[in-house]
Amino acid sequence: MVMKSSVEEDEGGWGLGIPEKMRNNANWVDITQDFKGACKELKLGELLHDKLFGLFEAMSAIEMMDPKMDAGMIGNQVNRKVLNFEQAVKDEAIRVKDLSLPELIGIVDTCFCCLITWLEGHSLAQTVFTCLYVHNPELILDPALKAFALGILKVCDIAREKVNKAAVFEEEDFQAMTYGFKMANNVTDLRVTGMLKDVEDELQRKVKSTRSRQGEQRDPEVELDHQQCLALFSRIKFTRLLLTALISFTKKETSAVSEAQKLMSQAADLLHAIHSTIQYGIQSQNDTTKGDHPIMMGFEPLVNQRLLPPTFPRYAKIIKREEMVNYFSKLIDRIKTMCEVINTTNLHSILDFFCEFSEQSPCVLSRSLLQTTFLIDNKKVFGTHLMQDMIKDALRYFVSPPVLSTKCSLYNNHQAKDYIDSFVTHCSRPFCSLIQIHGHNRARQRDKLGHILEEFATLQDEAEKVDAALHGLLLKLEPQRQHLACLGTWVLYHNLRIMIQYLLSGFELELYSMHEYYYIYWYLSEFLYAWLMSTLSRADSSQMAEERILEEQQQKGRSSKKSKKKKKARPLGKEITMSQAYQNMCAGMYKTMIALDMDGKVRKPQFELDSEQVRYEHRFAPFNSVVTPPPVHYIQFKEMSDLKKYSPPPRSADLYMAASKHFQQAKLILENVASPDAEVNRILKVAKPNIVVMKLLAGGHKKETKALPEFDFSAHKYFPIVKII
Amino acid sequence: MEENGTELQEGVSAECVYSSARQKLENLLNKSMRIRMTDGRTLVGLFLCTDRDCNVILGSAQEFLKSTDSFSQGEPRVLGLAMIPGHHVVSIEVEAESLQPAHGL
Repeated sequence: MVMKSSVEEDEGGWGLGIPEKMRNNANWVDITQDFKGACKELKLGELLHDKLFGLFEAMSAIEMMDPKMDAGMIGNQVNRKVLNFEQAVKDEAIRVKDLSLPELIGIVDTCFCCLITWLEGHSLAQTVFTCLYVHNPELILDPALKAFALGILKVCDIAREKVNKAAVFEEEDFQAMTYGFKMANNVTDLRVTGMLKDVEDELQRKVKSTRSRQGEQRDPEVELDHQQCLALFSRIKFTRLLLTALISFTKKETSAVSEAQKLMSQAADLLHAIHSTIQYGIQSQNDTTKGDHPIMMGFEPLVNQRLLPPTFPRYAKIIKREEMVNYFSKLIDRIKTMCEVINTTNLHSILDFFCEFSEQSPCVLSRSLLQTTFLIDNKKVFGTHLMQDMIKDALRYFVSPPVLSTKCSLYNNHQAKDYIDSFVTHCSRPFCSLIQIHGHNRARQRDKLGHILEEFATLQDEAEKVDAALHGLLLKLEPQRQHLACLGTWVLYHNLRIMIQYLLSGFELELYSMHEYYYIYWYLSEFLYAWLMSTLSRADSSQMAEERILEEQQQKGRSSKKSKKKKKARPLGKEITMSQAYQNMCAGMYKTMIALDMDGKVRKPQFELDSEQVRYEHRFAPFNSVVTPPPVHYIQFKEMSDLKKYSPPPRSADLYMAASKHFQQAKLILENVASPDAEVNRILKVAKPNIVVMKLLAGGHKKETKALPEFDFSAHKYFPIVKII
Repeated sequence: MEENGTELQEGVSAECVYSSARQKLENLLNKSMRIRMTDGRTLVGLFLCTDRDCNVILGSAQEFLKSTDSFSQGEPRVLGLAMIPGHHVVSIEVEAESLQPAHGL
């Protein structure tokens, strides 16, 4: 137990009210009057202090009796006695047996709310462990409550272990501290699920025995009993399913993940029954002090107050019961979605999966489960594939490098093998980090993406060297073949994706001011997307070259058979198309911003202590560590984007028109996508109105208005609908 | 002349009172100190700093709950650097050994 003060000690006689440590130190002498008198002699504003202690140190002192800083104060303000579990049981403030159904339902629901609040980033001490029962389930005699208390502890324990292992949380996401609470470690998982199952079966019998029979006059009391039994049954079963699902995730086989997915679906089916029976549970008597905390039997929000560090959020606002079911249903959806990752095979599609999953801003538990499912303890992807093999597959899929083709003489050349193997091994860590970054919360991702560019720059350098070495080898073996910029192209592709993601996420996180939009969109359209498209097409042609060679070899083998290969869809086709669309959207936004600026419709700051150049350089600072593509410095940007180089220089109307054409172009591209996904539709939702707005602006619509335009990012995170008011 | 003399004397004695008060307080610096607050809690820590309003800063402070509160009484809570506003100070105690008879408070 955490509460170290035991009852016996208290009875040992604290007559003086002086704790042992102080009492032992013996002779305390009261100097109150002297001290206060001496203080009065000090001058106004004068500080008496040690040489080594200055104002700076004084700043970091916590102020006692300040409600915001002094955690110990709350306990003293409350007029009730704060009891720990053993004391409460002894004083008969709470019961450990003969609990009524409404009491059980109320306790379970409050525990669920605490669990959710913990998962949303509060400390265990202020959430789950405000429930006295979980402090020592051994003392509980009621079988249902005991099983439930153990179950909740196990759920917390496994969730905590998963989150810790995945390491994709920051202090704002999750509190990993356990404050020395016991998490039911002396009972096995199997035993707890067994106990829950027993309680469940018992309740099910009661549910059946109180079920209404045909033609029977229904006794309202029996009906109520039936409803309440059903309510508790659903809750206990839900706990068991949640726990069993989490246990599944600790297993190493991927089949366990599908099992977990099934269990989560079953749990979801219970949510309706739980929601409709919330009112049967006892409610908390509303607190007199703040009203935030449920003060109900078995719960004491202040029981752990003294375990908290001096500076700590004073209150954990526990979510309401009405929101509980909704949260659970979303949590289950997230976990079910993340389970789908085991159906992706290629490293690139796994990366895409992580990106897409992260876009929903999922909770820390589902993010962590995704991480631990992807890379199991043995450092293998899904517990079966080596990361190196995944990278080789990704390379084959993306650029089909000759060195990885069985039909190439390099494939069995041991020197070439050494080169490629060591390269792939070096790739492994940065790619694992990249995937881990996508597990962090959205705001933290951006910062981390900026940093990982350094690692990818090193990788890029190595890739180019390995390419050159392999090319040299290949020239000697098969002079007609090439191994140029294969690995390099692949690393560059990832480099560009990271850079693009870095810039785009600034829109999502609302970091940019309106006057900055133009250079961000410029950098994206003129530079990064242009590079990305040329990289993709180089990869595509590298694939085609490889295919041609394969075909030729096959034809040599059996020349009689005519190859009538249909024109297959290029593997990278969709990505090239999407990049074109993004580029046009960015170009459209860039020209829009320039034109709006010309019309005086962009508010600019008074640059006093900085300048546009300072901001520009700050925005693109992480790109300085990248060699390819080289960073575009402010001066270069200004030269490249100078409108005076056109004659005659375009007017705002021309630029609006050009922007409209870009949006039109994006729309055309997207409408031709074979199977449009949600993303395609989202961009279309922005492109269509922008075409119209730009045309209107080009025609001089509201040219005189002084009102600033509005940028509405609700349809798409990265591209706004421009609104002229 | 006379008036000037008394003024001067008062000035000197005021200066004297001030410096002896300061001396007293300086002798207490870095000594273990026990302060009881208006809400009944007691803090024990090293005396680091004070001012005219008797605001006191204790270093490595530990918080003890009031005697009537039976809950987790024996275990102090570690606070670290803590400032007690003067108007919340009820009593101040120091260990007898730390009071040197020569300067005695």
